[in-house]
Amino acid sequence: MSTQLLFAALVAGSLYALVALGLNLVYGTLRLLNIAHGDLVMIGAYVAFWMLSILGMPPVFSLFAAAALCGGFGWLIYVGIFRKLLSTPALARRLEANSLILFYGVSVILQNGVSLAFTSTARGYQYLNEVHRFAGVAASGNRLMLLGVALVLCLGMLLFLRFHLFGWSLRAVIERRDAAAVVGVDVDRVQMATICTGFAIAGVAGVLVSMTEQITPFMGFPFTIAAFVVIVLGGLGNIFAGIVAGFALGFIETFGIAATSATYRSILIYGLFVAVLLLRPQGLFGKAIQAR
Amino acid sequence: MTKLNLDIIGGLLLVVAGLALPFAGADYLMGIAFNLAMWIALTQSWSILSAMTGYVSLGHVVFCGIGSYVFILTNGTLPMPAALACAGLAAAVMALVIGLPVLRVRGPYFVILTFGLAELAKNVIVQIETSLGQFSRLIFDAPALDTLYFIMFGLAVASTAAAVLVRHSKLGRGLVAIRENEEAAEAIGVPVTRLKLISFVAAAIIPGIVGGVLLLRTSYFEAAQAFDPVISFSIVTMAIVGGMGTVRGPILGSLAFVLLSELLWARFPQLYMIILGALLILFILFMPRGLSGLFERREVRR
Repeated sequence: MSTQLLFAALVAGSLYALVALGLNLVYGTLRLLNIAHGDLVMIGAYVAFWMLSILGMPPVFSLFAAAALCGGFGWLIYVGIFRKLLSTPALARRLEANSLILFYGVSVILQNGVSLAFTSTARGYQYLNEVHRFAGVAASGNRLMLLGVALVLCLGMLLFLRFHLFGWSLRAVIERRDAAAVVGVDVDRVQMATICTGFAIAGVAGVLVSMTEQITPFMGFPFTIAAFVVIVLGGLGNIFAGIVAGFALGFIETFGIAATSATYRSILIYGLFVAVLLLRPQGLFGKAIQAR
Repeated sequence: MTKLNLDIIGGLLLVVAGLALPFAGADYLMGIAFNLAMWIALTQSWSILSAMTGYVSLGHVVFCGIGSYVFILTNGTLPMPAALACAGLAAAVMALVIGLPVLRVRGPYFVILTFGLAELAKNVIVQIETSLGQFSRLIFDAPALDTLYFIMFGLAVASTAAAVLVRHSKLGRGLVAIRENEEAAEAIGVPVTRLKLISFVAAAIIPGIVGGVLLLRTSYFEAAQAFDPVISFSIVTMAIVGGMGTVRGPILGSLAFVLLSELLWARFPQLYMIILGALLILFILFMPRGLSGLFERREVRR
């Protein structure tokens, strides 16, 4: 097993884990299947591009700007739409059934809005692309930064969920929403914080992606799909297993492609996705939350 | 009773208008009507499974795609009508084969599974075509537009008739029971697995044939286009905007979208998509019964 391939798998895996983390948090607490998640990644990528080309600010700063913008968007749609709907059980049930279609609408608006504003030309920039060599691995600076930021965020979220009181509330809402409300968890506050965090993480992931590949208004969809594969592998709403599954997908994809050819990538990903849903819809790692 | 009469009169008027349209002699108009008939056929067939049982499929395009592929492989060897029949049959067989495992999966899992299956099928066919060295296949002996229009119109009528029949049959009542509470339905003796499978297969036949006819219209086959996921999303959008509760819904939804796309698609494609997205959100949030809900409310008020 070549260490170079191992590094590539690790980078891909950390990105998948990060993108899926946001999706999983939002599904877990709000039961909304956000098919526009990848488009938030795209928004983050455009923030990084424009901040560098207009303001001359490197992506280190855009990490925060993208998080604020996407998190703010999450806050806006929560306060504007979801808060009221989720507080009534009957409406919440209808919303859950239709959330995927609803977010498809959001996705279409984001993609075409960005395409209308900035044209659909592919854009890119150079940042930290000098190559470092160590232990037989050649790694560009931007990939190392991607790996570092993604690892810190994933680990940080796990520690937060494990040790912080608010993290406990969040887990309680994921596992038993009604019971959490009974024991005094402020479900509304948890939901608002989660949708902001989930969206912000997607924005950060977008900044990281933009350092290593070209950006277009329609780049988000493959990320949505990868994130769905990951959270289905881990079990919807299971945060820790989702992160593990993100790395697993990175390894399966990287080594699968190395063993066959890049043209099999989509078949591999969708094949895995369908197989898991058919054989173990509760995820590979045990129990997933019940759909209402 | 008066409501039923109105529906029958409206339906007959639509059929007469549809049959008379080619004699107006305007190809542009006939092109629009072809699209309208296609979306009605697809959305009605989708509603036989998804609106009736609540198993929302986001991969309905897979049956179109399989139909197209089988059609392009058999057309020429077989006469065109036989090739179209093969297309419908292939889609039905596919539904029968994948139906049992797929229909065990419920709720949001079913939605994303159907989407994943359609994408998997697309990528497998793309790969097969690439390894055969085929990038797009052409059709040279396609019939004239008015013939194609009549076939598509027939499919729209057949699909609507099927939706009406299912709704007013024992099968339909079973499917609604599954939508309301599958466990309870099973407990009182509704054969849920069999009914779901029947409606899944029934929903697959028409889109299979539509796939073949659409191919004759565009006159070439390209796998990525035949399995375009936007088609699946459009079907669901039209059903939601039209209203999922009635047979009128898919017709109203298709009509609204075909008109909107005629007005905007050519000149402002991005704006068209943005409006489409906004409508989808507004209808889900504020008008869950869709356009046909407008009719119902008026009837109640009267």
